[in-house]
Amino acid sequence: MPNTLTETTTVSDMFKIRGRLPGVGLLLLFGLLAAGCASDAELDTLDPQSEVAETIWNLAFPVFILAGVVLVLICGAVLYLALKHGVRTYEGDDEFPEQISHNNSLEIAWTIVPALIMAAIGVFTIITHIDINGTDDNSITIDVAGESVEWEPTIVVVGQQWWWEYRYYLDGSQIETADLGDPRDLPPADIVTSGQFAFPTGTEVELIITSRDVIHSHKIPALNGTRDAVPGRYTPWKIEANGPGVYFGQCSEFCGLSHSRMRMQAVAMTDDDFQAWIDMQMSDATFDESLQGYVDAYRETGVGSVDDVENDALRGLDVFTTQCASCHLVGGLNDLVNGETYDGADTLAGSAPNLTHLANNTTFAGGLFNLYNNEDGSLNRDDLAAWIRDPNAVKANRANDLPDGVLPRGMPAHNLSERQINDVIAFLETLGPRPTDERIAATEVE
Amino acid sequence: MSTATVESHDTPTDHNDHGTSTGISNTKLAMWTFLGSECLLFGGLISTYLLYKTRRGPGPDNTAIPTDIFDIPFTSVSSFVLLMSSLTMVLALSALTRGDNPATRAWLLATAMLGGVFIGGQVYEFTSFLREGVGFTHNPASSAFYTLTGFHGVHVSLGIVMLMSLFVASKQGKLTPKHTETVEIVGLYWHFVDVVWIFIFTVIYLIPVE
Amino acid sequence: MAITEEPLALASGGASNVERPLGALTRPKGGNGWRDWLSTVDHKKIGIMYGVAAMFFFVVGGVEALLIRVQLAAPEGQVLSAEVYNQVFTMHGVTMVFLFIMPLAAAFANYLIPLQIGARDVAFPRLNALSFWVWISGAVFLNSSWIVGGGGADCGWFCYSPNSGLAFSPSHGVDFYALGLQIAGIASLVSAINLIVTVLNMRAPGMSLFRMPVLTWMLLVTQFLLLFAIPVITVALFLLMFDRLFDAQFFNPETGGDPLLWQHLFWIFGHPEVYIIILPAFGVISEIIPTFSRKPLFGYSFMVFSGIAIGFMGWGVWAHHMFVSGIGPFSVAAFSLSTMFIAVPTGVKILNWLATMWGGKLRFTTAMLFSVGTVAMFTIGGLSGVTHSLAPADTQQTDTYYIVAHFHYVIFGGGVLGLMGGLYFWWPKVFGHMLNETLGKVHFWVMLIGFNLTFGPMHILGLQGMSRRIDTYSPGFGFEFWNMVATIGSFTIALSVLVFFFNVWKSRRDAPNLPAPGPDPWDARSLEWMIPSPTPEHNFDTVPTVEGLDEWWHRKYGYDEDKRVVRIATIEEAAQDGSAQGVHLPAPSFWPLVLALGLPIIGYGLIFNLWLCVVGGALAGLAVYSWALEPVDDPDADHGHDDHHDDSDGDGDGAEGGE
Repeated sequence: MPNTLTETTTVSDMFKIRGRLPGVGLLLLFGLLAAGCASDAELDTLDPQSEVAETIWNLAFPVFILAGVVLVLICGAVLYLALKHGVRTYEGDDEFPEQISHNNSLEIAWTIVPALIMAAIGVFTIITHIDINGTDDNSITIDVAGESVEWEPTIVVVGQQWWWEYRYYLDGSQIETADLGDPRDLPPADIVTSGQFAFPTGTEVELIITSRDVIHSHKIPALNGTRDAVPGRYTPWKIEANGPGVYFGQCSEFCGLSHSRMRMQAVAMTDDDFQAWIDMQMSDATFDESLQGYVDAYRETGVGSVDDVENDALRGLDVFTTQCASCHLVGGLNDLVNGETYDGADTLAGSAPNLTHLANNTTFAGGLFNLYNNEDGSLNRDDLAAWIRDPNAVKANRANDLPDGVLPRGMPAHNLSERQINDVIAFLETLGPRPTDERIAATEVE
Repeated sequence: MSTATVESHDTPTDHNDHGTSTGISNTKLAMWTFLGSECLLFGGLISTYLLYKTRRGPGPDNTAIPTDIFDIPFTSVSSFVLLMSSLTMVLALSALTRGDNPATRAWLLATAMLGGVFIGGQVYEFTSFLREGVGFTHNPASSAFYTLTGFHGVHVSLGIVMLMSLFVASKQGKLTPKHTETVEIVGLYWHFVDVVWIFIFTVIYLIPVE
Repeated sequence: MAITEEPLALASGGASNVERPLGALTRPKGGNGWRDWLSTVDHKKIGIMYGVAAMFFFVVGGVEALLIRVQLAAPEGQVLSAEVYNQVFTMHGVTMVFLFIMPLAAAFANYLIPLQIGARDVAFPRLNALSFWVWISGAVFLNSSWIVGGGGADCGWFCYSPNSGLAFSPSHGVDFYALGLQIAGIASLVSAINLIVTVLNMRAPGMSLFRMPVLTWMLLVTQFLLLFAIPVITVALFLLMFDRLFDAQFFNPETGGDPLLWQHLFWIFGHPEVYIIILPAFGVISEIIPTFSRKPLFGYSFMVFSGIAIGFMGWGVWAHHMFVSGIGPFSVAAFSLSTMFIAVPTGVKILNWLATMWGGKLRFTTAMLFSVGTVAMFTIGGLSGVTHSLAPADTQQTDTYYIVAHFHYVIFGGGVLGLMGGLYFWWPKVFGHMLNETLGKVHFWVMLIGFNLTFGPMHILGLQGMSRRIDTYSPGFGFEFWNMVATIGSFTIALSVLVFFFNVWKSRRDAPNLPAPGPDPWDARSLEWMIPSPTPEHNFDTVPTVEGLDEWWHRKYGYDEDKRVVRIATIEEAAQDGSAQGVHLPAPSFWPLVLALGLPIIGYGLIFNLWLCVVGGALAGLAVYSWALEPVDDPDADHGHDDHHDDSDGDGDGAEGGE
C-alpha cells in the first residue's frame, strides 16, 4: 500500500488511462459518423436535404473534423505527457526538471496561430451566414381559383401553445410584415393549415415566423435550421427541399408543458401535386347529401337538426357544431354563421387549428400523432379518440379546471360520451380528401 | 521561529490611508468598487428606458408616454437643486477638514435638504403624471420611466439617510476631523448619484423623441 | 502593532469568560460551538460553511439530475409529469449554477485569498459573514418553493419571457426564482466588493500584483465579473417581478413589451456568469499542475493576461445565446466573430498547462488527476463551443442536446472537476488531515467515466435532432439507445459522489492514526503552505515579505552555480509554526445573520402578504442599526468607529467601520 502522502499511481497504472481519454474522443467521432447512418433519425441534422441545410453542413462538417483533430491532439498530448513524465513519488528524488517558466516567442505564436485559424473560419462563416440569410426574389406561377397568379412563395408561420399554424396569402403581392399587425389578428388568409404545410420542391420559400403567446422555435432539421417564433415580432427565414417527401420537425424553444409534444411536418411536393393541394385547400369543406341539410340550416340560423339519428357522421356534425365550432373553423360550415364571421377561439392565444381539410393531414394534435396507421392506411381511431376524450391526458396542457377568467391553453376535454366521440370522429373523417398512400407511409411519428 | 508581533498594515480594521497596497483606504476603495457596479445597474435601467421610451401600447387608452407630458423647466430646476447639493456636500467636507463643526453640520443639513427638495420634486412630477393617466402600469414607456427614476430616487433617499446620520453624529460630537474620510466616502456616493441624474436627465428629458 | 489585552479582543486559539458590558451589542467571543459558527467573521470558517453548503446543494441538484435522467431513460417516460419535469429541470439548473458551483468557488476564494496574499482576513469580515448568510437564506428561500410555493420554478433556469409572466406561469415558482436569485445576488455582489478590496489593498509587503498566485488572479477577475454582471440580472429580475407583482408592462408583447429585452439582460449577465464559473477552476488547476510537475507554471504573464482578456471579451459575446432569436443578421455576424475570438485566450491556457507538464516530473495524485482531467474535458467542451460559434451551424445545434453536452463538458468537466481537484489539494490545509488517495482515485475515475458516459452521447443526440428541455421523446427518432447510456452514466456519477463523501468520512475517522500532513504535504509553491495545517486562526505569525513569484517555493529552493534546483531550507525550517499569541482578530458578530434572515421574510411578504415585508424590513433595519452601533473589536484604537447607517439592502454602500 503506497504511502499516500508521497506515493501515487504507478506508471503501469497509467496504461489504464490509455483506453479512456482517446477512447472517448474516438467514440464521439465514431458516433457522429454512425449517426448519419441511422435510418430512423427523422430529426437528424447531419443529413441535409435542401440547399440551405447543405450550405450549413458544408461549413459545419469541416469544422467538426478540425475540432476532432484538435481534440485528439490535445488529449493525445495529455496522455503522452502522462506516460512519458509520470513518476510514482518525489521521495528520494532530488533532481528537478528544468525550471522553464516561459517562452515568449512560443506563447505569442500559439496565440496568433489560433487567432488566424479562427479568422479563417470566421471568413467562411460570414460567407455562409450571408448566403443562408439572403433571399431569392423568386416567384412561381400558380392557379388560384381559376386565375393565374405570380406568387412569391411565402408562408406565415404562427406558433402557439402547442401547435403550429401556417398561412398562405396567394394574391400575388409581397407580404410586408408591417401590414401583418397583431399575430392574433392576422389578415384573412387564402389557406390556413396546422401541423403540416406543403410547398413545391426546388423552390426557395420564405417563412415569416411569429407567435401568438410565448417564444417557440420552428425547425425542420433536414431542410433548414431553427428560427425563433417571438410574440410581437415577425422573423424572416426560408425553407426549401431538394426532393418531395415528408420532413419532420420539433419545436426547439422551451415553451411550457408540451414543448416536447409540439411537432410539425414539412411536405415538399412536385409542382403538380402542390397545385392540386392549393386547389383542394382553397375550397371549403364539401359535405355529402346526408350532411348538407344540416349544414345549410346551420349556416342560415346557427342551428342544425339531426333528423337521421342513424347517421353517425351527421350526429358527429351536430356534436362538432355544439362543442367544437366555437374554437375550430371548418370553411363552409362555421366561417359564416348568422352573418357573423368566425373570430377566433376562446383560448389564451385566441386560435385553434383550422380543421377544414383535417383528413388530408397525416398527423394531428400539433403534428404529434399519426392520423392514419402506417400498416394499412386506416384511420388511427384509438389515438384520435383518446385525444378527443381527454387531450390533457395525452398532451399536457392547461385547459381544464381553470380559475375563473383564465382562458385555456390547449384543447379542453368536453366530457363527451364514447358514442359522441365515435360520431365526431366519423364526421372529421369526412373533412378530406384523404392523403396519398405514399404520404401516409412517409409519415411515421410513432 | 516566529515572533508574536504582527506588522501593522495587516489589520483589517485599518482606516488609515497608508498601509494598504494601493494607498487608498479599504472603505474608500470599497465605495469606488460599489459605484462601479452601480454603473451597470443604472446602465441596464437606462438601456431599458431607451428601448421602451416610445412604446405607447396599442389602443386609444395607452397612447400617452412620459415624453409627451414632461415639464422640462420644472425638472431643470429640480436638477439644478440636486447639482447644488453636490456643491454643499463639498463644502461640508471642507468645513470638517478645517474643524469647523457648526459649518459642517450646516452644509450637511443643506445637502440633505436640497436632496429632499429634489425628491419632493420627483414626487410632485410623478403625481402629476398619474393625474394625466400615465401611471406605472400604463405602457412599457411609463413602466421603464418610473423604474429608472424611481431607482434613482431610492438611491437619493438612502443618501439623505446617510447624510442625516452624519449630521446626528456631528451633533453628538462624534464627527471629528479624523473622520473626514467617512464624509468623503458619503460624498463620493452622493456625487455619483448626482452624475447618474445628469445622465438620466439628458437621456430621458432632453433628448428629443421621434 | 501592540498586543491588545482588551477583554473584548479575541485571543488567538482560546476563548475566555464572556463579559457582556454592552448587553445585546456586546461582540460575542469566538470558539467552535454552533453559536460560534453562526457569529463567526473568520474567512476560513466562512469558506468552510460555503463549501459544506455547496456540497449539500450538489446533492440536491444531483438528485434533480437523476430524476431527469430516469424520466428520459426510455421514450414516453411516465416517471415525472410534464408539470413536475419542468420544475425539476429548472431547479436542477438553478441549483447547480447558483447554489453549488458558485458557492463552492466562493469557498475557495474566501479561504485561500487572504492566505495567498499573506493577509489576516478579508477587508470587511462582518460583510463577509453577511454574504454567506444572505446567500444561504436565499438558497433556502428558493428551495422552500417546493414546500410553500406549490412547486419549484418551472420556467427553465433562463426563465424567458413571456413564458415567465403570470399568464403562462401562474404558480409562485417564478416568484421564488426571481426573489431567491435577487437575495443570492446581493451576497455575490457584496462578496465581490469585499474580495476586490482585499486583493487590491491587503497584500503582503513585496507582493505586487504580478507576484500573486494565478489562483488569486483568476479569482480577482471573477470578482470583477460578478461586480459588473450581477447588477444586470438584478435589473432583469426587478423588471420581471414588477410585471408579476405590480402589472408593469415590461414583457407583455400585447402592449409593446419586447421578450428579447429579457434575453439581452439575462445573457449580458449570463455569459460573464460562465466565466465566473470557470475561472476559479482555471486558477485551481494552475496551482496544482505546477506543484505536481515540479516546475513553475509555464507562462505566468500569458496566463494572467489571458484571464484578464477572457474577463473583458466575455462581455462582448452574449448574443451568441440568441443567434436564432431574430436579432438580425448583422448582430448575429458580429457576435459570431467575437465568440470565435474568445476561444483564443482560452486555448492559450490549455497550451500553457500542457507546457507546464512538458519536461516535468508528473506525480498523479488525486488532485493532479482531476486537474489534468479538467484540461482534457474542458478542451472537449471548448471545441464544441467553437462549433457553436459558427452562427449558421448553430441554427442546427441550438436548443438541442448538443448544447447540453457542450455546457456540461465545460461546467462539469471543466469547473467541477477542477474544484474537486482543489478539494483534494487544500483539504489538509483546511482540516489538518489528507483525504485518502486511493479512494480519491476511485472517485476520479468513476466520476470521469460516468461523466463521459452521461454527456458524451448527448453530442450525438443533439446532432440527431433531440431538442433540449423536453420532458419526453417519442420512439422512432433514434434517441433511445444513447439516452439509456446517459442515464447509466448519471448514476455512475452519483456513485462517484458517494465515494467522495465516504472518503470525507473515512479520512476524518482515520486521521488520528495517520501522520499529520504538516504545513506543506505537497511541496507546493504559494504562501498558504508556509503555515501549519490546519490553518491557525490568526493565519500568519508574521506577515512574510515577498520577493518574487512562488515566494514559498523560493524559500525552500534555490539554484546552484549550474542553475540546478537545490534545497536551501526544509519545510520545517522555513515554515511558520503558528505559535503567535494574542494576535488581534476581528471580533465575531451575530448581526450579519440577523440581517440575512430579514431578506427572505421580505421575499415571503412580496409573495404572500405585504405585512411580512414590514416585519422583514424591520428585522433587517434593526440588524443594520445594531451592526453600525456595536463596537469595533478594538475600542481603544485611536480611530473611533463610525455610526452612520448602512442602507437596509445590505449592499455595503456607505462606509461602515472597516468591518
